[in-house]
Amino acid sequence: MLVTGIKSKPVYAPLQADLRGRYHLMLGMDAGAAPLLRVIAEMRAASAQSVMNTRVLLVPGAPAAVEQFTAAAVGDVQAFPGTPALLEQFRAILGQSLMGTRLYVAGPESFIGLVMKIALEFNLNKDEIRAEESGTLARRVYCIHCRATTENVRTNIVRCVDCDTWLLVRDHYSRRLAAYMGVMVDAEAPGELPPLKEVFL
Amino acid sequence: MSDAQTIAVEIVGIEQVTPLIKHFKLAPVGGGNLPVFSGGSHIIVVMQGTERLHKNPYSLLGSPQQLDTYEIGVRRMEESRGGSHFMHDAVKVGSRLEIAHPVNLFGLDKIARKHVLIAGGIGITPFLAQLEDLHGGGVPYELHYSVRSTEHAAFLQRLRQREGDRIHMYYDSEGQTIPFEPLLASQPLGTHVYVCGPAGMITHVIATAQFCGWPDSHIHWEQFSAPPVGDAFEVFLARSKISVHVPPDQSLLESIEAAGVEVPYLCRGGVCGFCHTRVLELDGTLVHNDHFLSDADKAKSKSIMPCVSRAQCKRLVLDL
Repeated sequence: MLVTGIKSKPVYAPLQADLRGRYHLMLGMDAGAAPLLRVIAEMRAASAQSVMNTRVLLVPGAPAAVEQFTAAAVGDVQAFPGTPALLEQFRAILGQSLMGTRLYVAGPESFIGLVMKIALEFNLNKDEIRAEESGTLARRVYCIHCRATTENVRTNIVRCVDCDTWLLVRDHYSRRLAAYMGVMVDAEAPGELPPLKEVFL
Repeated sequence: MSDAQTIAVEIVGIEQVTPLIKHFKLAPVGGGNLPVFSGGSHIIVVMQGTERLHKNPYSLLGSPQQLDTYEIGVRRMEESRGGSHFMHDAVKVGSRLEIAHPVNLFGLDKIARKHVLIAGGIGITPFLAQLEDLHGGGVPYELHYSVRSTEHAAFLQRLRQREGDRIHMYYDSEGQTIPFEPLLASQPLGTHVYVCGPAGMITHVIATAQFCGWPDSHIHWEQFSAPPVGDAFEVFLARSKISVHVPPDQSLLESIEAAGVEVPYLCRGGVCGFCHTRVLELDGTLVHNDHFLSDADKAKSKSIMPCVSRAQCKRLVLDL
Protein backbone atom coordinates (compact mmCIF):
# COMPACT_ATOMS: atom_id res chain seq x y z
CA MET A 1 0.00 0.00 0.00
CA LEU A 2 1.22 3.45 -0.87
CA VAL A 3 2.04 5.18 2.40
CA THR A 4 4.18 8.14 1.36
CA GLY A 5 4.54 10.11 -1.85
CA ILE A 6 0.83 10.90 -1.86
CA LYS A 7 -0.16 14.24 -3.38
CA SER A 8 -2.86 15.07 -0.85
CA LYS A 9 -0.30 15.48 1.94
CA PRO A 10 -0.32 19.22 2.68
CA VAL A 11 2.88 21.13 2.10
CA TYR A 12 3.39 24.36 4.04
CA ALA A 13 5.77 27.22 3.43
CA PRO A 14 7.23 29.95 5.66
CA LEU A 15 4.67 32.68 6.29
CA GLN A 16 4.93 35.94 4.38
CA ALA A 17 2.85 39.07 4.70
CA ASP A 18 0.37 39.57 1.87
CA LEU A 19 -0.21 43.30 1.75
CA ARG A 20 -2.72 42.98 -1.06
CA GLY A 21 -5.15 41.89 1.65
CA ARG A 22 -7.17 44.58 3.42
CA TYR A 23 -7.74 42.67 6.68
CA HIS A 24 -5.44 40.13 8.29
CA LEU A 25 -6.54 37.34 10.59
CA MET A 26 -3.81 35.35 12.36
CA LEU A 27 -4.21 32.11 14.27
CA GLY A 28 -1.38 30.65 16.30
CA MET A 29 -0.66 27.89 18.76
CA ASP A 30 2.36 27.35 20.98
CA ALA A 31 5.53 27.85 18.94
CA GLY A 32 3.38 29.28 16.13
CA ALA A 33 3.54 32.68 17.85
CA ALA A 34 7.06 33.33 16.56
CA PRO A 35 6.31 33.09 12.82
CA LEU A 36 3.26 35.32 13.32
CA LEU A 37 5.34 37.96 15.11
CA ARG A 38 7.83 37.76 12.27
CA VAL A 39 5.04 38.48 9.73
CA ILE A 40 3.80 41.42 11.80
CA ALA A 41 7.30 42.93 11.81
CA GLU A 42 7.47 42.44 8.05
CA MET A 43 4.08 44.13 7.68
CA ARG A 44 5.00 47.07 9.86
CA ALA A 45 8.02 47.80 7.69
CA ALA A 46 5.69 48.21 4.70
CA SER A 47 2.39 49.44 6.12
CA ALA A 48 1.50 50.35 9.71
CA GLN A 49 -2.17 50.36 8.71
CA SER A 50 -1.99 46.65 7.89
CA VAL A 51 -0.84 45.94 11.46
CA MET A 52 -3.82 47.91 12.78
CA ASN A 53 -6.10 45.81 10.54
CA THR A 54 -4.69 42.59 12.01
CA ARG A 55 -6.50 40.38 14.47
CA VAL A 56 -4.74 37.59 16.36
CA LEU A 57 -6.30 34.50 17.94
CA LEU A 58 -3.83 32.58 20.04
CA VAL A 59 -3.51 29.42 22.10
CA PRO A 60 -0.34 30.64 23.80
CA GLY A 61 2.43 28.27 24.81
CA ALA A 62 3.52 30.78 27.45
CA PRO A 63 1.59 33.75 28.95
CA ALA A 64 4.30 36.13 27.72
CA ALA A 65 3.34 35.39 24.10
CA VAL A 66 0.16 37.47 24.38
CA GLU A 67 2.16 40.47 25.62
CA GLN A 68 4.46 40.23 22.63
CA PHE A 69 1.49 40.71 20.34
CA THR A 70 0.08 43.53 22.44
CA ALA A 71 3.49 45.20 22.29
CA ALA A 72 3.46 44.80 18.52
CA ALA A 73 0.30 46.98 18.50
CA VAL A 74 -1.86 44.71 16.40
CA GLY A 75 -5.53 45.65 16.14
CA ASP A 76 -6.72 42.95 18.49
CA VAL A 77 -5.30 39.92 20.35
CA GLN A 78 -7.37 37.23 22.00
CA ALA A 79 -5.97 34.29 23.95
CA PHE A 80 -7.76 30.96 24.36
CA PRO A 81 -7.19 28.06 26.76
CA GLY A 82 -7.36 25.50 23.97
CA THR A 83 -8.01 24.81 20.31
CA PRO A 84 -11.80 24.20 20.54
CA ALA A 85 -12.48 27.63 22.06
CA LEU A 86 -10.24 29.31 19.49
CA LEU A 87 -11.95 27.51 16.61
CA GLU A 88 -15.38 28.52 17.87
CA GLN A 89 -14.37 32.17 17.88
CA PHE A 90 -12.64 31.75 14.49
CA ARG A 91 -15.86 30.44 12.98
CA ALA A 92 -17.85 33.36 14.40
CA ILE A 93 -15.33 35.86 13.01
CA LEU A 94 -15.33 34.31 9.53
CA GLY A 95 -19.12 34.59 9.50
CA GLN A 96 -18.76 38.37 9.84
CA SER A 97 -15.61 38.89 7.76
CA LEU A 98 -15.47 40.61 4.41
CA MET A 99 -13.77 39.76 1.14
CA GLY A 100 -10.24 41.08 1.31
CA THR A 101 -9.35 39.08 4.44
CA ARG A 102 -6.12 37.08 4.52
CA LEU A 103 -5.56 34.20 6.88
CA TYR A 104 -2.23 33.29 8.48
CA VAL A 105 -1.93 30.08 10.48
CA ALA A 106 1.07 28.87 12.48
CA GLY A 107 1.35 25.98 14.89
CA PRO A 108 1.35 22.18 15.01
CA GLU A 109 0.22 20.46 11.83
CA SER A 110 -3.01 19.16 13.35
CA PHE A 111 -3.91 22.70 14.49
CA ILE A 112 -3.35 24.03 10.97
CA GLY A 113 -5.54 21.24 9.62
CA LEU A 114 -8.44 22.08 11.93
CA VAL A 115 -8.23 25.77 11.01
CA MET A 116 -8.09 24.95 7.29
CA LYS A 117 -11.15 22.71 7.60
CA ILE A 118 -13.23 25.66 8.82
CA ALA A 119 -11.68 28.06 6.28
CA LEU A 120 -12.72 25.64 3.54
CA GLU A 121 -16.33 25.79 4.73
CA PHE A 122 -16.19 29.54 4.14
CA ASN A 123 -14.81 29.02 0.62
CA LEU A 124 -11.42 30.55 1.35
CA ASN A 125 -9.03 29.57 -1.40
CA LYS A 126 -5.31 28.91 -1.44
CA ASP A 127 -4.55 32.48 -2.39
CA GLU A 128 -6.24 33.72 0.80
CA ILE A 129 -4.52 31.41 3.28
CA ARG A 130 -0.91 31.02 4.36
CA ALA A 131 0.23 28.40 6.86
CA GLU A 132 3.54 27.46 8.46
CA GLU A 133 4.22 24.36 10.51
CA SER A 134 5.68 25.10 13.88
CA GLY A 135 5.72 22.37 16.50
CA THR A 136 4.74 18.75 16.57
CA LEU A 137 3.92 16.73 13.45
CA ALA A 138 1.62 14.45 15.48
CA ARG A 139 -1.34 13.54 13.31
CA ARG A 140 -5.07 13.25 13.52
CA VAL A 141 -5.87 9.85 12.05
CA TYR A 142 -9.26 8.96 10.65
CA CYS A 143 -10.23 5.29 10.85
CA ILE A 144 -11.70 4.46 7.46
CA HIS A 145 -13.48 1.48 9.04
CA CYS A 146 -15.38 3.02 11.97
CA ARG A 147 -14.90 6.75 11.10
CA ALA A 148 -13.50 7.68 14.49
CA THR A 149 -10.58 10.10 14.67
CA THR A 150 -7.58 9.29 16.84
CA GLU A 151 -5.66 12.38 18.00
CA ASN A 152 -1.94 12.99 18.58
CA VAL A 153 -0.65 10.03 16.64
CA ARG A 154 3.16 9.90 16.55
CA THR A 155 3.64 6.34 15.30
CA ASN A 156 3.57 4.62 11.91
CA ILE A 157 0.75 2.33 13.11
CA VAL A 158 -1.83 3.04 15.78
CA ARG A 159 -4.78 1.37 17.48
CA CYS A 160 -8.04 3.16 16.55
CA VAL A 161 -9.35 4.94 19.62
CA ASP A 162 -12.83 3.58 18.97
CA CYS A 163 -12.76 0.17 17.22
CA ASP A 164 -9.29 -0.97 18.38
CA THR A 165 -8.22 -1.88 14.85
CA TRP A 166 -4.50 -1.52 14.16
CA LEU A 167 -4.29 1.21 11.51
CA LEU A 168 -1.51 2.03 9.09
CA VAL A 169 -1.11 5.82 9.00
CA ARG A 170 -0.92 6.94 5.38
CA ASP A 171 0.05 10.33 3.90
CA HIS A 172 -3.40 10.36 2.26
CA TYR A 173 -4.92 13.51 3.76
CA SER A 174 -8.49 14.78 3.82
CA ARG A 175 -8.86 18.55 4.08
CA ARG A 176 -12.55 18.14 4.80
CA LEU A 177 -11.87 15.86 7.78
CA ALA A 178 -8.55 17.52 8.70
CA ALA A 179 -7.09 14.04 9.18
CA TYR A 180 -4.82 11.45 7.62
CA MET A 181 -6.39 8.18 6.56
CA GLY A 182 -5.78 5.13 8.74
CA VAL A 183 -6.28 1.75 7.09
CA MET A 184 -6.37 -1.67 8.83
CA VAL A 185 -2.78 -2.86 8.70
CA ASP A 186 -3.23 -6.62 9.23
CA ALA A 187 -6.29 -7.25 7.07
CA GLU A 188 -4.42 -9.71 4.80
CA ALA A 189 -2.52 -11.48 7.57
CA PRO A 190 -4.33 -11.04 10.92
CA GLY A 191 -1.99 -10.34 13.79
CA GLU A 192 1.05 -9.58 11.62
CA LEU A 193 2.09 -6.03 12.45
CA PRO A 194 5.08 -4.06 11.22
CA PRO A 195 7.39 -2.78 13.97
CA LEU A 196 5.95 0.19 15.84
CA LYS A 197 8.06 3.30 15.17
CA GLU A 198 7.77 6.90 16.27
CA VAL A 199 7.80 8.87 13.01
CA PHE A 200 5.63 11.99 13.48
CA LEU A 201 7.52 14.01 16.06
CA MET B 1 -12.07 21.41 -32.92
CA SER B 2 -12.79 21.02 -36.61
CA ASP B 3 -15.80 21.85 -38.69
CA ALA B 4 -16.63 18.15 -38.95
CA GLN B 5 -17.86 18.40 -35.38
CA THR B 6 -20.30 21.23 -35.94
CA ILE B 7 -24.06 20.95 -35.56
CA ALA B 8 -26.47 22.13 -38.24
CA VAL B 9 -29.10 24.48 -36.82
CA GLU B 10 -32.02 26.43 -38.17
CA ILE B 11 -33.07 29.88 -36.99
CA VAL B 12 -36.56 29.47 -35.51
CA GLY B 13 -37.01 32.89 -33.95
CA ILE B 14 -35.58 36.40 -34.21
CA GLU B 15 -36.49 39.36 -32.03
CA GLN B 16 -35.02 42.85 -32.09
CA VAL B 17 -34.73 43.40 -28.34
CA THR B 18 -32.90 46.74 -28.37
CA PRO B 19 -31.87 49.10 -31.17
CA LEU B 20 -28.54 47.20 -31.34
CA ILE B 21 -29.26 43.69 -30.10
CA LYS B 22 -31.08 40.86 -31.82
CA HIS B 23 -32.17 37.73 -29.99
CA PHE B 24 -31.92 34.50 -32.03
CA LYS B 25 -33.39 31.07 -31.33
CA LEU B 26 -31.59 28.13 -32.92
CA ALA B 27 -33.02 24.61 -33.23
CA PRO B 28 -31.26 21.52 -34.53
CA VAL B 29 -32.08 20.74 -38.15
CA GLY B 30 -34.32 17.69 -38.06
CA GLY B 31 -35.49 18.29 -34.50
CA GLY B 32 -34.39 16.67 -31.26
CA ASN B 33 -32.16 18.11 -28.59
CA LEU B 34 -28.94 20.07 -28.64
CA PRO B 35 -26.00 19.17 -26.34
CA VAL B 36 -26.30 19.94 -22.63
CA PHE B 37 -24.51 23.02 -21.34
CA SER B 38 -23.96 24.94 -18.13
CA GLY B 39 -24.55 28.65 -17.46
CA GLY B 40 -21.75 30.79 -18.87
CA SER B 41 -21.13 28.55 -21.91
CA HIS B 42 -20.66 29.90 -25.42
CA ILE B 43 -20.94 28.45 -28.89
CA ILE B 44 -19.06 29.33 -32.05
CA VAL B 45 -21.43 30.27 -34.86
CA VAL B 46 -20.07 29.57 -38.33
CA MET B 47 -21.39 32.00 -40.97
CA GLN B 48 -20.69 31.82 -44.68
CA GLY B 49 -20.43 35.50 -45.57
CA THR B 50 -20.08 36.80 -49.10
CA GLU B 51 -16.34 37.30 -48.86
CA ARG B 52 -15.34 34.85 -46.19
CA LEU B 53 -16.28 32.46 -43.43
CA HIS B 54 -17.02 34.06 -40.06
CA LYS B 55 -16.69 32.14 -36.81
CA ASN B 56 -17.87 34.18 -33.85
CA PRO B 57 -18.35 33.18 -30.20
CA TYR B 58 -21.73 33.94 -28.60
CA SER B 59 -22.84 33.14 -25.04
CA LEU B 60 -25.84 30.88 -24.64
CA LEU B 61 -28.52 32.84 -22.80
CA GLY B 62 -31.37 30.35 -22.58
CA SER B 63 -32.11 27.94 -19.77
CA PRO B 64 -29.68 25.00 -19.51
CA GLN B 65 -32.80 22.95 -18.76
CA GLN B 66 -34.25 23.64 -22.19
CA LEU B 67 -32.28 21.92 -24.93
CA ASP B 68 -34.61 21.90 -27.93
CA THR B 69 -33.37 25.40 -28.78
CA TYR B 70 -30.32 27.51 -28.00
CA GLU B 71 -30.68 31.26 -27.56
CA ILE B 72 -28.04 33.86 -28.33
CA GLY B 73 -27.97 37.65 -28.29
CA VAL B 74 -25.99 39.44 -30.98
CA ARG B 75 -25.02 43.07 -30.71
CA ARG B 76 -24.47 44.91 -33.96
CA MET B 77 -20.85 46.07 -33.71
CA GLU B 78 -20.00 49.39 -35.33
CA GLU B 79 -16.54 48.22 -36.34
CA SER B 80 -17.65 44.77 -37.31
CA ARG B 81 -15.45 42.64 -39.54
CA GLY B 82 -18.67 41.22 -40.85
CA GLY B 83 -19.93 38.59 -38.39
CA SER B 84 -22.41 40.65 -36.40
CA HIS B 85 -23.62 42.45 -39.54
CA PHE B 86 -24.18 39.08 -41.20
CA MET B 87 -26.25 37.90 -38.22
CA HIS B 88 -28.26 41.15 -38.21
CA ASP B 89 -28.76 41.61 -41.95
CA ALA B 90 -28.52 38.25 -43.71
CA VAL B 91 -29.91 35.78 -41.17
CA LYS B 92 -33.69 35.30 -41.28
CA VAL B 93 -36.09 32.83 -39.70
CA GLY B 94 -35.46 29.60 -41.58
CA SER B 95 -31.78 30.38 -42.27
CA ARG B 96 -29.40 27.52 -41.62
CA LEU B 97 -26.09 27.90 -39.79
CA GLU B 98 -23.42 25.66 -38.33
CA ILE B 99 -22.49 25.86 -34.66
CA ALA B 100 -19.78 24.23 -32.58
CA HIS B 101 -20.50 22.38 -29.35
CA PRO B 102 -20.86 24.60 -26.28
CA VAL B 103 -17.79 25.30 -24.17
CA ASN B 104 -17.82 26.95 -20.75
CA LEU B 105 -14.94 29.29 -19.95
CA PHE B 106 -17.03 31.36 -17.54
CA GLY B 107 -18.56 28.89 -15.11
CA LEU B 108 -19.89 29.69 -11.66
CA ASP B 109 -17.84 28.64 -8.66
CA LYS B 110 -19.97 25.84 -7.25
CA ILE B 111 -18.91 26.27 -3.62
CA ALA B 112 -19.11 30.08 -3.45
CA ARG B 113 -21.07 31.48 -0.50
CA LYS B 114 -22.36 34.37 -2.60
CA HIS B 115 -22.29 35.43 -6.25
CA VAL B 116 -22.07 39.04 -7.45
CA LEU B 117 -22.73 39.33 -11.19
CA ILE B 118 -21.78 42.54 -13.02
CA ALA B 119 -22.97 43.08 -16.60
CA GLY B 120 -22.45 45.91 -19.05
CA GLY B 121 -24.65 46.00 -22.17
CA ILE B 122 -24.47 42.84 -24.26
CA GLY B 123 -22.38 41.37 -21.41
CA ILE B 124 -25.71 40.38 -19.85
CA THR B 125 -25.98 37.28 -22.07
CA PRO B 126 -23.87 34.70 -20.14
CA PHE B 127 -25.55 35.78 -16.90
CA LEU B 128 -29.02 35.00 -18.21
CA ALA B 129 -28.10 31.32 -18.34
CA GLN B 130 -26.14 31.48 -15.08
CA LEU B 131 -29.14 32.98 -13.31
CA GLU B 132 -31.15 29.96 -14.42
CA ASP B 133 -28.57 27.82 -12.58
CA LEU B 134 -28.57 30.08 -9.51
CA HIS B 135 -32.32 30.54 -9.22
CA GLY B 136 -33.70 28.64 -6.23
CA GLY B 137 -30.27 27.26 -5.36
CA GLY B 138 -30.10 28.63 -1.83
CA VAL B 139 -26.87 30.59 -2.38
CA PRO B 140 -27.34 34.37 -2.29
CA TYR B 141 -26.69 36.26 -5.53
CA GLU B 142 -27.27 39.66 -7.07
CA LEU B 143 -26.94 41.16 -10.54
CA HIS B 144 -25.73 44.67 -11.28
CA TYR B 145 -26.61 45.57 -14.86
CA SER B 146 -25.45 48.75 -16.53
CA VAL B 147 -26.85 49.97 -19.88
CA ARG B 148 -26.88 53.19 -21.93
CA SER B 149 -30.57 53.92 -21.40
CA THR B 150 -33.88 52.14 -20.87
CA GLU B 151 -34.26 51.26 -24.55
CA HIS B 152 -30.89 49.46 -24.42
CA ALA B 153 -31.81 47.31 -21.42
CA ALA B 154 -31.92 43.97 -23.23
CA PHE B 155 -33.85 41.13 -21.59
CA LEU B 156 -34.79 43.30 -18.60
CA GLN B 157 -38.40 42.18 -18.54
CA ARG B 158 -37.35 38.55 -18.48
CA LEU B 159 -34.93 39.29 -15.63
CA ARG B 160 -37.39 41.32 -13.58
CA GLN B 161 -40.12 38.73 -13.82
CA ARG B 162 -37.90 36.06 -12.43
CA GLU B 163 -35.39 37.79 -10.21
CA GLY B 164 -37.28 40.83 -8.91
CA ASP B 165 -35.17 43.04 -6.66
CA ARG B 166 -32.04 40.91 -7.11
CA ILE B 167 -31.56 42.98 -10.26
CA HIS B 168 -29.92 46.37 -9.78
CA MET B 169 -30.19 48.60 -12.86
CA TYR B 170 -27.90 51.50 -13.78
CA TYR B 171 -28.65 53.82 -16.72
CA ASP B 172 -25.84 55.90 -18.23
CA SER B 173 -28.49 58.32 -19.55
CA GLU B 174 -29.51 59.07 -15.96
CA GLY B 175 -25.89 59.48 -14.88
CA GLN B 176 -26.05 56.26 -12.88
CA THR B 177 -22.97 54.10 -12.44
CA ILE B 178 -22.40 50.88 -10.55
CA PRO B 179 -20.81 51.83 -7.18
CA PHE B 180 -17.95 49.41 -7.72
CA GLU B 181 -15.87 50.21 -4.68
CA PRO B 182 -18.57 50.21 -1.98
CA LEU B 183 -20.05 47.12 -3.62
CA LEU B 184 -16.82 45.15 -3.65
CA ALA B 185 -15.56 46.41 -0.29
CA SER B 186 -18.63 45.12 1.56
CA GLN B 187 -19.03 41.53 0.38
CA PRO B 188 -18.95 38.63 2.83
CA LEU B 189 -16.04 36.22 2.81
CA GLY B 190 -16.48 33.50 0.22
CA THR B 191 -18.10 35.79 -2.37
CA HIS B 192 -17.20 35.46 -6.05
CA VAL B 193 -17.53 38.31 -8.53
CA TYR B 194 -18.20 37.78 -12.24
CA VAL B 195 -17.99 40.54 -14.82
CA CYS B 196 -18.84 40.61 -18.51
CA GLY B 197 -19.06 43.80 -20.53
CA PRO B 198 -16.89 46.39 -22.24
CA ALA B 199 -13.12 46.08 -21.78
CA GLY B 200 -12.98 49.20 -19.61
CA MET B 201 -15.58 47.84 -17.22
CA ILE B 202 -13.79 44.50 -16.87
CA THR B 203 -10.45 46.17 -16.20
CA HIS B 204 -12.07 48.47 -13.66
CA VAL B 205 -13.84 45.68 -11.79
CA ILE B 206 -10.65 43.58 -11.61
CA ALA B 207 -8.60 46.55 -10.38
CA THR B 208 -11.23 47.62 -7.83
CA ALA B 209 -11.66 44.09 -6.48
CA GLN B 210 -7.88 43.79 -6.09
CA PHE B 211 -7.76 47.19 -4.41
CA CYS B 212 -10.38 45.93 -1.93
CA GLY B 213 -8.12 42.96 -1.20
CA TRP B 214 -9.87 40.32 -3.27
CA PRO B 215 -7.67 37.40 -4.30
CA ASP B 216 -7.62 36.52 -8.00
CA SER B 217 -9.33 33.17 -7.42
CA HIS B 218 -12.57 35.00 -6.55
CA ILE B 219 -12.59 37.29 -9.61
CA HIS B 220 -14.04 35.94 -12.87
CA TRP B 221 -14.48 37.71 -16.17
CA GLU B 222 -15.12 37.01 -19.81
CA GLN B 223 -14.58 39.16 -22.81
CA PHE B 224 -14.42 37.88 -26.32
CA SER B 225 -12.21 40.15 -28.36
CA ALA B 226 -12.99 40.46 -32.01
CA PRO B 227 -9.73 40.01 -33.92
CA PRO B 228 -8.40 43.57 -34.40
CA VAL B 229 -7.35 44.70 -37.84
CA GLY B 230 -3.69 45.48 -38.46
CA ASP B 231 -0.94 45.54 -41.04
CA ALA B 232 -0.73 42.67 -43.49
CA PHE B 233 2.11 40.23 -42.90
CA GLU B 234 3.47 36.89 -44.08
CA VAL B 235 3.79 33.79 -41.94
CA PHE B 236 5.64 30.55 -42.69
CA LEU B 237 4.20 27.35 -41.18
CA ALA B 238 7.25 25.18 -40.45
CA ARG B 239 5.60 21.76 -40.28
CA SER B 240 3.21 22.32 -43.16
CA LYS B 241 6.00 24.02 -45.12
CA ILE B 242 3.74 26.70 -46.58
CA SER B 243 3.70 30.47 -46.59
CA VAL B 244 0.46 32.24 -45.69
CA HIS B 245 -0.48 35.86 -46.34
CA VAL B 246 -2.46 37.54 -43.53
CA PRO B 247 -4.44 40.51 -44.89
CA PRO B 248 -5.27 43.51 -42.65
CA ASP B 249 -8.88 42.52 -41.90
CA GLN B 250 -8.40 38.79 -41.49
CA SER B 251 -7.02 37.18 -38.35
CA LEU B 252 -3.93 35.00 -38.31
CA LEU B 253 -6.07 32.01 -37.34
CA GLU B 254 -8.55 32.63 -40.16
CA SER B 255 -5.74 33.00 -42.67
CA ILE B 256 -4.10 29.76 -41.56
CA GLU B 257 -7.43 27.96 -41.74
CA ALA B 258 -8.11 29.38 -45.19
CA ALA B 259 -4.78 27.88 -46.27
CA GLY B 260 -6.10 24.48 -45.22
CA VAL B 261 -4.19 24.04 -41.95
CA GLU B 262 -6.23 23.21 -38.88
CA VAL B 263 -5.41 24.83 -35.55
CA PRO B 264 -7.18 23.66 -32.40
CA TYR B 265 -9.40 26.37 -30.92
CA LEU B 266 -12.30 26.83 -28.53
CA CYS B 267 -13.21 30.51 -28.12
CA ARG B 268 -11.64 32.42 -31.04
CA GLY B 269 -11.64 35.43 -28.73
CA GLY B 270 -8.28 35.36 -26.95
CA VAL B 271 -9.59 33.80 -23.76
CA CYS B 272 -9.22 30.03 -23.64
CA GLY B 273 -5.60 29.50 -24.66
CA PHE B 274 -6.46 26.56 -26.88
CA CYS B 275 -4.88 27.94 -30.08
CA HIS B 276 -1.58 28.68 -28.28
CA THR B 277 1.12 28.32 -30.94
CA ARG B 278 4.90 28.28 -30.66
CA VAL B 279 6.86 30.97 -32.46
CA LEU B 280 10.01 29.50 -34.01
CA GLU B 281 11.45 32.59 -35.72
CA LEU B 282 10.58 36.25 -35.60
CA ASP B 283 12.10 39.27 -37.29
CA GLY B 284 9.96 42.08 -35.85
CA THR B 285 7.38 42.24 -33.07
CA LEU B 286 4.26 40.33 -32.11
CA VAL B 287 1.07 42.29 -31.49
CA HIS B 288 -0.53 40.35 -28.62
CA ASN B 289 -4.27 41.03 -28.29
CA ASP B 290 -5.22 38.08 -26.10
CA HIS B 291 -6.20 37.87 -22.43
CA PHE B 292 -4.51 34.50 -21.94
CA LEU B 293 -0.74 34.95 -21.98
CA SER B 294 0.89 36.66 -19.02
CA ASP B 295 2.70 39.94 -19.66
CA ALA B 296 5.97 38.10 -19.10
CA ASP B 297 5.09 35.49 -21.72
CA LYS B 298 3.99 38.19 -24.15
CA ALA B 299 7.33 39.92 -23.73
CA LYS B 300 9.22 36.68 -24.48
CA SER B 301 7.66 36.46 -27.96
CA LYS B 302 7.98 32.68 -27.90
CA SER B 303 4.28 32.01 -28.40
CA ILE B 304 1.19 33.62 -29.89
CA MET B 305 -2.59 33.20 -29.81
CA PRO B 306 -3.42 33.36 -33.53
CA CYS B 307 -7.16 33.91 -32.95
CA VAL B 308 -6.69 37.59 -32.06
CA SER B 309 -2.96 38.36 -32.18
CA ARG B 310 -0.91 39.54 -35.14
CA ALA B 311 2.65 40.48 -36.02
CA GLN B 312 4.52 43.44 -37.41
CA CYS B 313 7.46 41.75 -38.99
CA LYS B 314 9.44 40.76 -42.03
CA ARG B 315 9.46 37.11 -41.11
CA LEU B 316 7.40 34.95 -38.73
CA VAL B 317 7.73 31.17 -38.50
CA LEU B 318 5.16 29.18 -36.53
CA ASP B 319 5.29 25.59 -35.30
CA LEU B 320 2.30 24.49 -37.35
